[in-house]
Amino acid sequence: MSLEGFEVAIVGAGPAGSAAALTLARERVQVLLVERGTFPGSKNVFGGRIYSYALKKLLGDSWKEAPIERFVRKEGITFMTSDNAFSVEFESKDPEGSFTAKRAKFDKWLAEQAEKSGASLITDSRVDDLIIDHGRVKGIVAGQDKIPTDAVIACDGTTTGLARRAGLTTMLEPSQISIGVKDVIELPSEKIEERLGLDPGQGAAHVFLGACSGGLRGGGFLYTNQDSLALGMVVGGDDVSTQKAQSYGFIDKLREHPKVQRFIKGGKTIEYDAHMIPEAGPKMLSRPYTDGMVVAGDAAGHLLNNGYTFRGVDMAIQAGVAAAQTVLEARKKKDYSANSLKAFERKLHEDLALKDMYTFHRVPAYLRNRRLYTTYPELVCAAAEAIYRVDGSGKKKISKELRLQTKGRVSIFTLIRDLIGGARTF
Amino acid sequence: MPAEETLTLDKRLALVSFSKDAEPFIVVDTEKCNQCETKPCLYICPAEVYTWKEQLNYNTEGCMETGACLIVCHKIGAGAINWKYPSGGKGITFKLG
Repeated sequence: MSLEGFEVAIVGAGPAGSAAALTLARERVQVLLVERGTFPGSKNVFGGRIYSYALKKLLGDSWKEAPIERFVRKEGITFMTSDNAFSVEFESKDPEGSFTAKRAKFDKWLAEQAEKSGASLITDSRVDDLIIDHGRVKGIVAGQDKIPTDAVIACDGTTTGLARRAGLTTMLEPSQISIGVKDVIELPSEKIEERLGLDPGQGAAHVFLGACSGGLRGGGFLYTNQDSLALGMVVGGDDVSTQKAQSYGFIDKLREHPKVQRFIKGGKTIEYDAHMIPEAGPKMLSRPYTDGMVVAGDAAGHLLNNGYTFRGVDMAIQAGVAAAQTVLEARKKKDYSANSLKAFERKLHEDLALKDMYTFHRVPAYLRNRRLYTTYPELVCAAAEAIYRVDGSGKKKISKELRLQTKGRVSIFTLIRDLIGGARTF
Repeated sequence: MPAEETLTLDKRLALVSFSKDAEPFIVVDTEKCNQCETKPCLYICPAEVYTWKEQLNYNTEGCMETGACLIVCHKIGAGAINWKYPSGGKGITFKLG
């Protein structure tokens, strides 16, 4: 393929990159999508769920042709000690709001949709550098190839190499990242449905908080694929480093818990995955644009972990589309300067889905409170134990029992402060 | 149902495929590591690329390409790790992800 004549280069064929490529190609822009893996998705890892709305908006009715594993009918959260579990479950009447997927299939499929619209994809190609001329981005450098373009859209993931090269950020702090690891555990679909209490074809998502993260900022997750479970742990980068705790060790702790054991029993682990997650939100870059370049997806912190929903792919798609629209407007004006591309920032703030990132901007700081991973899960389990236990020794009223359980664990003052803080944050 | 599996990191890493990159994409100035008190790379890496036996040892081939080592080394550690992605088409390939 000749690498000349492209107007826009997009680095990284993940959800942000492919959504941007698709949006530009539809407007007949000559767009080159560059992927370092052997196929789009081959380097990409996530927990397991995609919120459908972004895909619907991007593709219309054909969104359902995506490689969907299961629509998520059931949401759950478990607070755990090493041997207790307090779980809450919710069953949605509209399971089509989100689905589980495998990134090696989903990202490949999404890139194919971009190609069908006219985008050119090259794989096995690492972008090493930007062409920078008088402070303006003028294209990309991949190995021996210098590819001049009018604009670059950097969707190169959490390591955010191109934004750093362009001076939009320095290196992230360990507190701004988490490490996620995941076992994919093969299990017959009937077993999955039986154990999770699902109708055929329906899926579940579950979050685990407490003993599994050993007191560190973090938690576990479980998603149901068609014939496998995606079970994983996410722990804070700073906590792991300073507490000298092996990042991959926590998943074994999670697997050993009796509640989790019952889900995975007899299953066969068929893949081990790992990923670095940015946790600082969009403020991880000083700005997501510069002369000749915009940054979208993980590379710009376009994702949201608000403690109970984990959104990456939907945010990446929305941000990719917004980046492409920004470039389209710049193209019309024939002005790719930072001043012209700064419209991207406004789009991010105005987008109904993306503005959630700003609404919940206080969440990362709130989630750094260690009591969320130690004291409170313990408290919930101990209170439930006390409330449900009947042993003939006399029962206290629930309110009194709850007060009693906080003793020695957390002061009422701290508890109230955390509750008010939570109410303000979420 | 078969007996419960016992998993180790080695067994887990055997489940993903790696294509060796002839070019060294991780280079560590191990002299600096001797002075490093925190050694965060030993803990953050989900693939135990970094180990300590009298000095820092590293095995590029099992790298899962998270890039987290670079951050903790430069922010908490001795600033010894030079890390970039492996060449195009090289390194890890996930079949599921």
